Amino acid sequence: MEEYDVIIYGTDLVQSIVGAALSWQGVSVLHVDKSPYYGGASATLSLTEIKQWVESNNNDPSSPFDDVKLYVSRNIDTSKYSIDLSPRIIFSASDFIDLLRTSRVYRYLTIKPLTMFHTYKDDFFDKLASTKEDIFTDQSITVQTKRALLKFMRFVLNYQSESSLPIWTDFKNRPIAEFLQAKFKIDPIYSNELVYTLGLCPALATPTSVGLHRIKKYLTSMGVFGSFPAMFSLHGGPGEIAQGFCRSGAVGGAVYRLHSDVSSVDPDTQSIVLDDGTNIKYREKLVIPSQQQGSREVRRLVAIVSNDCKPWFGEGESAAVVVFPPGTLEGNETAVQCLIFGAESQQCQSGQAVWYLSTTEKGAKGKKELELALEKLESAILRESTEDFDIEVSEEDVILRNGTPLISSVRLGQSLKDFVPREKLQYLAKLQYVQHETIANPVADNVIPIGSSAFDITYDGIVEQAKKIFSQITGSDDDFFNVDFEDEDEEDIGEVKPLGSTSNSNSNNNSNAEPELTFGDAMEV
Amino acid sequence: MDAKPQTSVKLVLLGEAAVGKSSLVLRFVSNEFQEHKEPTIGAAFLTQKCQLPNRTIKFEIWDTAGQERFASLAPMYYRNAQAAVVVYDVTKPASFVKARHWVSELHAQASPDIVIALVGNKVDLASDDNGPRVATAEGQALADDEGLLFLETSAKTGSNVQEVFTALANKLPEPAAASAATQETPDHIDLSAAPNKQANCAC
Repeated sequence: MEEYDVIIYGTDLVQSIVGAALSWQGVSVLHVDKSPYYGGASATLSLTEIKQWVESNNNDPSSPFDDVKLYVSRNIDTSKYSIDLSPRIIFSASDFIDLLRTSRVYRYLTIKPLTMFHTYKDDFFDKLASTKEDIFTDQSITVQTKRALLKFMRFVLNYQSESSLPIWTDFKNRPIAEFLQAKFKIDPIYSNELVYTLGLCPALATPTSVGLHRIKKYLTSMGVFGSFPAMFSLHGGPGEIAQGFCRSGAVGGAVYRLHSDVSSVDPDTQSIVLDDGTNIKYREKLVIPSQQQGSREVRRLVAIVSNDCKPWFGEGESAAVVVFPPGTLEGNETAVQCLIFGAESQQCQSGQAVWYLSTTEKGAKGKKELELALEKLESAILRESTEDFDIEVSEEDVILRNGTPLISSVRLGQSLKDFVPREKLQYLAKLQYVQHETIANPVADNVIPIGSSAFDITYDGIVEQAKKIFSQITGSDDDFFNVDFEDEDEEDIGEVKPLGSTSNSNSNNNSNAEPELTFGDAMEV
Repeated sequence: MDAKPQTSVKLVLLGEAAVGKSSLVLRFVSNEFQEHKEPTIGAAFLTQKCQLPNRTIKFEIWDTAGQERFASLAPMYYRNAQAAVVVYDVTKPASFVKARHWVSELHAQASPDIVIALVGNKVDLASDDNGPRVATAEGQALADDEGLLFLETSAKTGSNVQEVFTALANKLPEPAAASAATQETPDHIDLSAAPNKQANCAC
C-alpha cells in the first residue's frame, strides 16, 4: 500500500502553504484535490472553467457556495479570462509578503503595485489622502482636521507602545469610529476613509483593536517596496499563489494528485480510499476541509466590463480598490468592497476590466447593495472615461473651406456638452454567488479539519492559519519554511533585475518602468 | 559587462516519468550525470546561459517536479514558456506515445509561438538486446509533422545535450521580436530586493 507521512485533501491556499512547508521539512506529503485545478474555494479559473464550476456547485450539496448565477456574453472567448473565486490584495508590510519571500514562491509570481484606494461619497470617488504630504496639500481639508489626522497617524504607528495603551484600551472592543471621534475629534467622513478604505474594515462595529491594527498595516506598507501600499499578483490572486506553493511543494518532494476525490476515510487504520479505488495510508496526519458551515457568509458579484477603467488606476498601474462605506448605498450597514483589475492584470482582454464586488451583508439586503454599488460604478466610469464618447458627425457639421473638409468646432463643443452616453456599459460576463464560512470541528486525533473564511480582500490571517495547522502536525511552527535553499542560483540573489522579464536591460533603459519601482533607492535608507 | 544583449527565456520540460528529463537538465546546467538520481531537482528552476554569436540566451528551466505524474501540472507551468523540451526514452515506445500527448498539450496550453524540441533520450541504452527501440525515423517524422526540433541524446554520456539547448536558442526570435513580447509581461516588483524597513510613513 502507498504510504505518506501526511495526506492533505484540498489545495486551497492555506492547504497549499502547509503542504509546501511540510515537504521542505522532509515530511512525505500526498496532496489530493477532487477538482482538476489547484486552489479549491480560492481558485483562479478561466470563464470556461467557471461554467463547469457553476454546474458542479449546483449538483454538490456539500459545497460552501450557493446562489451561484452566471451570465456570459456569446461574443467572447471564455478561455481568455481569469477569475478569482476569492480575490485578495497583498499589503507591502505583512506576514504574507514575508512568507512569499522566505518560501521563494515569489519567483513563480509577477507582483505589481496598487496605489489607488478610492472612497465613494456623494456620487464621487475620492482618492485617499493617506500620506503626510497628501494631507498637507489637500485644500479641502480644514486646518483643524489636518492637525487631527496627523496626530492620529503619529499615534497609530506606535499604538501598541506602553505610552499609547491608555489612550485606546478603554475602546478596545468598541467601534473604531467612536474611538476616532472621541479621542482625536476626527470627522465621520475622514474616519470613513481611515476605517473602511485604508483599514478595509467591513462594518461600523469593527472593534478599535482590529481597526488600529489594519490602519497601521496600510500606513507602514507605504514605501516598503515603493510609494504604494499594496500589490497584487498577475493572472489572479490566491488561486495563482496556491499554484506557486504547490509547485514549491512538488519541488520539495510532495506528490500532487488533482481530479482525485477521497471516497472514504478510516482514522483507525489511518488510511483513505480514493475514487479510483486506491488505498493509501497516512503515518501521521490527514488534513481535510471541514464541511460544517458557520453563520457568516460573503456575497460576491464579479463583472467583466467593456471599459479599461484607466481613470481609476494609478499611473502605469492596472488595479484599484473602491470602497462604499456604510450609508452610501441606501442605508447599507456594511461596506461594499470592490477590487478593480484592468487588462494588464492578465485577467481580461485589452479595453476591459474585471470588477469584484463583495459584502458580508446577508440575504436580499446584501444582494441589493451589491447591485446598487455596481450601478454606481457603472455611472462613475461612464462619466469619467470621456474618450469612449462616440460623437456622431452629420453632413452639416462638415464645412468645406478651401476644399478641405473640417468639422465645425462650435458644433463639436455643443454636442459634447449635451452628451448623453448612447451606449451603456457592456457587461461581457457577470457572476454572483454566496460563499459560506466553514468551521473546523475535531474529528479524530490523526485528522485535522480546516475551516475557511474568505471574508477578507487582504491576505490577513492566512499565514497564521497555515502556521497553526503546521504546528498541529509537527508540534511547533519553528521550522515553518525554515529552509536553506542551497541550490539557489547565487548570481541572481540581490540582482535588481525583474524576474521573467525578457528585456535586454543593457541596451534598454526601460522608460516605461515606474520610477518608484527602483529598489536601489529603497535600499539606500 | 557583457556587451551582448541578454534575453531570459522560460523553458519547460515535459515527458513521462523516468525518461531522463532532470538528468538532461543536470547535464546541460552542470555537466553532471547521476546514475541513481532522485526524481526531482531541488530548486525553483535552474538557469543556464547559452552564448550565441550576437546575443546571450539565459534559460530559466522549469522541471515538472513530478507534477506530470498524475496530470497535475498547473496553468502556471505553461504560462509564458517560450521554449519546451519534450523528452521520451528511445528504449520505451510507450514514452514516445506519451510524447505525442505532451506536444498536443503544449499546443493547447502554451503560447502559440513556443519553440519545441523533441528529444529521444537514453540512446546509450539502445542496443539490439535491449528490446524494441523507437526508430530515429519515427521521432523525425513526428517532429516534421509538428514543426519541432528533433535530436536523440544521452544524458549519461552527454551526447547531443548541449546541442538541444543551442538549437532552441538559435530558433528563438531575435531580441527585437522578443522585446515586443516583453510588453505583455512588464517589469514588476522584485521581492528578492531588500525592502525598505524605514518606510516612508507619515510619522
